[in-house]
Amino acid sequence: MTNLMIWPILIPLLTGVVLLLAPKRVLFQRVLSSIAGVALIVLNIFILLSIHQDGILTLELGGWNPPFGIVLVGDMLAALLITATSIVSLPILLFSIYTIGKEREQFYFYAFYQFLITGVIGAFLTGDLFNLFVFFEVMLISSYILIVHGGTKKQLRESFKYVLVNVISSAFFVVGVAYLYAVTGTLNIAHLSERINSLDSPAPILTVIAVLFLIVFGLKGALFPLYFWLPASYTAPPFAIAAIFGALLTKVGIYSIFRTYSMIFTHDIGFTHQLLSILAALTMVIGIIGAIAHQDVKKILVYNVIVAVGFVLFGVSTMTEAGFIGAIYYVLHDMVIKGALFLLIGAMVIVAGTSHLKEMGGLIKHHPRMGWMFFTATMALVGVPPLSGFVGKLMLIQGGIEAGQYGIIAVMMVTSLLILYSMIRIFLKGFYGQIKLLKADQYGSSKGLLLPCAFLITVSALMGLGAESLYPFVESAAKTLLNPEIYIDAVLKE
Amino acid sequence: MFTALHFAIIAPFIAAIFVPILYKLFSRIHTGWFVLTVPTILFLYFLQYLPITANKETVTAVFDWIPSLGIHFTAYIDGLGLLFALLITGIGILVVLYSIYYLSKERESLHTFYTFLLMFMGAMLGVVLSDNLIVLYMFWEITSLSSFLLISYWYEREKSIYGALKSMIITVMGGFSMLVGFVLLYTMTGTFSIQETIAASSDIVSHHLFLPAMLTILLGALTKSAQFPFHIWLPDAMEAPTPVSAYLHSATMVKAGIYLVARLSPVFAISGEWFWLIAGFGITTLFWGSFSAVRQTDLKGILAFSTVSQLGMILSMLGVGAAALHFDSLDLENNVFVGATTAALFHLINHATFKGSLFMMVGIVDHETGTRDIRKLGGLMTIMPITFTIAVIGSFSMAGLPPFNGFLSKEMFFTAMVEITKFQLFNVDTYGVMFPAIAWVASIFTFIYSMVLVFKTFNGKFKPEKLDVKPHEAPFGMLLSPIILVSLVIVFGFFPNILSYTVIEPAMASILPSLLQEGEQFYVDIYFWHDWTPALYMTIGVISVGLFLYLGMKKWVGIYRLFPDNVSFNTLYDQAIVKGERLSEKIISSHMTGFIKDYLLYIFSFITAALVFTLFHKGAFVVETQDLAPISIYEVILAVVLIASVLTVMFTKSRLKAIIGLGVVGYTIALFFVIFRAPDLALTQLIIETVSVALFLLCFYHLPQIAKSLETIRFQLGNFIISLAVGTTITLIGLTANSNRLFESISGFFIENSYNEAGGKNMVNVILVDFRGFDTMLEILVLGIAAFGIFTMIKLRLEGKEQL
Repeated sequence: MTNLMIWPILIPLLTGVVLLLAPKRVLFQRVLSSIAGVALIVLNIFILLSIHQDGILTLELGGWNPPFGIVLVGDMLAALLITATSIVSLPILLFSIYTIGKEREQFYFYAFYQFLITGVIGAFLTGDLFNLFVFFEVMLISSYILIVHGGTKKQLRESFKYVLVNVISSAFFVVGVAYLYAVTGTLNIAHLSERINSLDSPAPILTVIAVLFLIVFGLKGALFPLYFWLPASYTAPPFAIAAIFGALLTKVGIYSIFRTYSMIFTHDIGFTHQLLSILAALTMVIGIIGAIAHQDVKKILVYNVIVAVGFVLFGVSTMTEAGFIGAIYYVLHDMVIKGALFLLIGAMVIVAGTSHLKEMGGLIKHHPRMGWMFFTATMALVGVPPLSGFVGKLMLIQGGIEAGQYGIIAVMMVTSLLILYSMIRIFLKGFYGQIKLLKADQYGSSKGLLLPCAFLITVSALMGLGAESLYPFVESAAKTLLNPEIYIDAVLKE
Repeated sequence: MFTALHFAIIAPFIAAIFVPILYKLFSRIHTGWFVLTVPTILFLYFLQYLPITANKETVTAVFDWIPSLGIHFTAYIDGLGLLFALLITGIGILVVLYSIYYLSKERESLHTFYTFLLMFMGAMLGVVLSDNLIVLYMFWEITSLSSFLLISYWYEREKSIYGALKSMIITVMGGFSMLVGFVLLYTMTGTFSIQETIAASSDIVSHHLFLPAMLTILLGALTKSAQFPFHIWLPDAMEAPTPVSAYLHSATMVKAGIYLVARLSPVFAISGEWFWLIAGFGITTLFWGSFSAVRQTDLKGILAFSTVSQLGMILSMLGVGAAALHFDSLDLENNVFVGATTAALFHLINHATFKGSLFMMVGIVDHETGTRDIRKLGGLMTIMPITFTIAVIGSFSMAGLPPFNGFLSKEMFFTAMVEITKFQLFNVDTYGVMFPAIAWVASIFTFIYSMVLVFKTFNGKFKPEKLDVKPHEAPFGMLLSPIILVSLVIVFGFFPNILSYTVIEPAMASILPSLLQEGEQFYVDIYFWHDWTPALYMTIGVISVGLFLYLGMKKWVGIYRLFPDNVSFNTLYDQAIVKGERLSEKIISSHMTGFIKDYLLYIFSFITAALVFTLFHKGAFVVETQDLAPISIYEVILAVVLIASVLTVMFTKSRLKAIIGLGVVGYTIALFFVIFRAPDLALTQLIIETVSVALFLLCFYHLPQIAKSLETIRFQLGNFIISLAVGTTITLIGLTANSNRLFESISGFFIENSYNEAGGKNMVNVILVDFRGFDTMLEILVLGIAAFGIFTMIKLRLEGKEQL
């Protein structure tokens, strides 16, 4: 046991609290948030390396032994995800400094941002199902406010729907926890895993509960057919906020499915995981249909967020090591590259003054760096080696073949092609084509906007080129998920 | 280890990084001169491997990239790889040299052009020199991308963008399919190394994934090499600057598919499907390409379809070459199927020479006259005599006329096609006769368009009135590259055997390794005079019928009108895009209504459907009542009150009544807590209800009147059923969960330890503040955030300001 595990939660939490105290001091807000962001990266990498060296780290809060108290568990999956979270959230923070506007900055924007990160990181780290719910709430309340932050008409309209959908999903979460507690008598993830896996003939009620959790997490993660709230609510707030949402929020839902469907609900794979794989495939399909249907660059990207959910969950559904490795590589990649793309699209809309493709054109003439970054990020998204999307996709295919899911592999590859189509259209119509704007007419400048994008794209390239260095971490994460005993032993210390 | 060979592959990429810098630093020197050094040095570097591969030796250098996944950057040089490497760098030199005169340094952004071109060169070298399938795939995709970027080089032109997108969609589609194929191979063999896969090939022939792997990989090869019906991207790729067309879209990139087929022949060629697919696609493409080329009026259009056709021809020869694997005892010297492979490789080289020169010739005509339309051109023979000579030599070689190299490979091709009819396997004896027939007809069309290419441009009447500029002969620098290429056409025509054992034979050993014993070699002897063979008669037939048809073209060219424009693969592609987008819009707008009531309907319907289905499909539903308490009269009364007050809240027309109704709901629940002996919860609930009702009443004063139209909620059966279903489902599952208490609850621990360990007599309190104090702390945080959030929501209104 070590206190180390509380710090990734405490840093953004305390930073947020301090930021609440001096809302009008914008410079202070910016500097402190940035420092906290850097500190979080350093800390999380340190944790990642510690776990790599010493195995799973746990922290029993209040000194109560699991399964009775709440325990924070840093296994490799959690460590990778919190590291990625911190790496993605820093450049988005820098981007927001340039774009969010003084009024928002003076109204606790940075504090809410820190609280959102608190919720996300906590959700990844907790080893307790009810505590997961609580971190969901922290994350959601912050996201409610970030969506409405600024109070424009569109924000108010969309946040209302967003809040309502999430409140309902939270209610079902609690109901699910209650059912599960009734059946198993515990809420600790390790303990749940141990108990359910010890059953000789698992009760069918557990399958029902598994499906309920799939729905609850699927609502957060925008799984088919529970994705419809996402496109409008992710396009309503400013880009910096949309970027952090697109990069992180659905990932928490995905993570929760990953965790529960690999460690807890593995008693009836033939039913639950088959269902998951079908929903994953349908998610890819509906996501890409949405991306193709729109000419609005924001919408195109937002629907691509949904597609990625399908990709990762397909990997989860295979229940193979290759599939898990693929899912983990892919989810990490997607956090980075979606962050980059949201920021780039943001920068693009700022300089073009419109988000509609028909009104854009020839941007590359005056913004070549932005254009080539966008092109590179698109290639990474599509999975062109040696950029980051490739390794994940390769392993997803491999896992899919091992699981005999040839049909879904076909769906995945066709979807990939259409992702390329949907995104390259932005490049061809926005950056290429007839120049629609003269330099003098341009709405905004791209000053300061490209550095965060460049940072994220560099990370993506390194994740691909240096996939070998990342591999032991990812492999160990996948192994833990496939062999929950490792996790159980570390948490319950039996 | 990272060797010089690796560096040779990477070098163009590194050079590509420096191109923009050199472009800026030395703006007075054409950037092409710097770039020229790259292929030159590489060509010389690769030449030194010739003696090595000629001795059947190979060079392997491994650099670990992702060894955990079996991905190594393995550079591998054998006869086949070297042949392509020399082709890529050799033609590369000439193309860069040509481009220096073709692209003006004043008007063009040369740095992007040469960056893309070098990227392509490196990627192409990577494709042909990588032993690892995944690394090969990587470079393969990069060739598609650089081709995309080069086609759309003039990015303001609508057509360039269209062509670039089309080429990318089709070739990347093939690439993805190929990737799946590679992973399927990996599943069977456990390696991504091509050489190791070849070694394991005999074990996987009967594997159930063998055929899927072959088909998916072939899709990659066929799309890249523009085989029918995937050829449609190549004509549109002609929007690229002509040096690019000469380099990527005739000499090198489109041959990547051929390379892949040749490279993987040792793995797949033993199967009948392979033979039929390769030979079948090849021969079909040969015909369709040459047939379509005749109707083109754009010089580059003719060359594009001609390239399609010639690629088909090479492919069909590789397919027929696979037949050689089915002989028990093989006469290496005289086996005609082995000869087909020889012919394929020989023609591959020949095609690069004559087609490269023809593209450059067309570029010159375009450059000097401002048009490539044969209806506007004519009579340039005297104005541009050197260009004319180049055109004649290139075209005659393409048409298969002696004494040029094209004649030799065409003869070998005919021989193979005639002989295949005698082949006894895979039903070839039944259908095989179509091979020589199609080959012969296609060659007639080849002859015709070759003549069109030369004589419509250079012969006939000069039409200066249709040209914007006054044409004159091109500068020497521009002519240099095509002159070198046509010289090669002649040299290879007269002395084909300088290629035989240096380049062709080692490459054959890579394609048909199983036919060679240790120390053996293939006999590659190419000569003009074959005796009066069927092939020669076929050539004579091609020339006489072709000449006849060319002269009477006006009379029969109407047959092309029989193929309506709207029934083609092009239309299919265009329609797929247009209709696909429209259909997507329809699907999305049909259910993404933006109305929360629809969204709630989706959520609740799905939840109910999924849960009820699982519940009954799994037979999970059980209710055991023995350990449940009996339902008392108080509980019934409370339940009735609860339901009544909920209904009041929903259907009342007065806001005051609704608030009171809501309060009743809360207080009733508090009473339930009392009955269930949970006084703390009851107290808490009472306080919350009191406060919230009070708050509601306070706000009440400030709220506007409820609009008249909203006053009544219409009864909607659908919604009613769904609400009922949700409630019922949740109850049923709750009952089932309660009847399935499989383990003892951990709550026993809290009962025992609340006082002794945590020092509190109220267990609920202890859980809240101690055992699970962390939850409580975070819930307080949630409330805090909410408070600040609401404050922000009220105070901060940015309406009317621009939305970033």
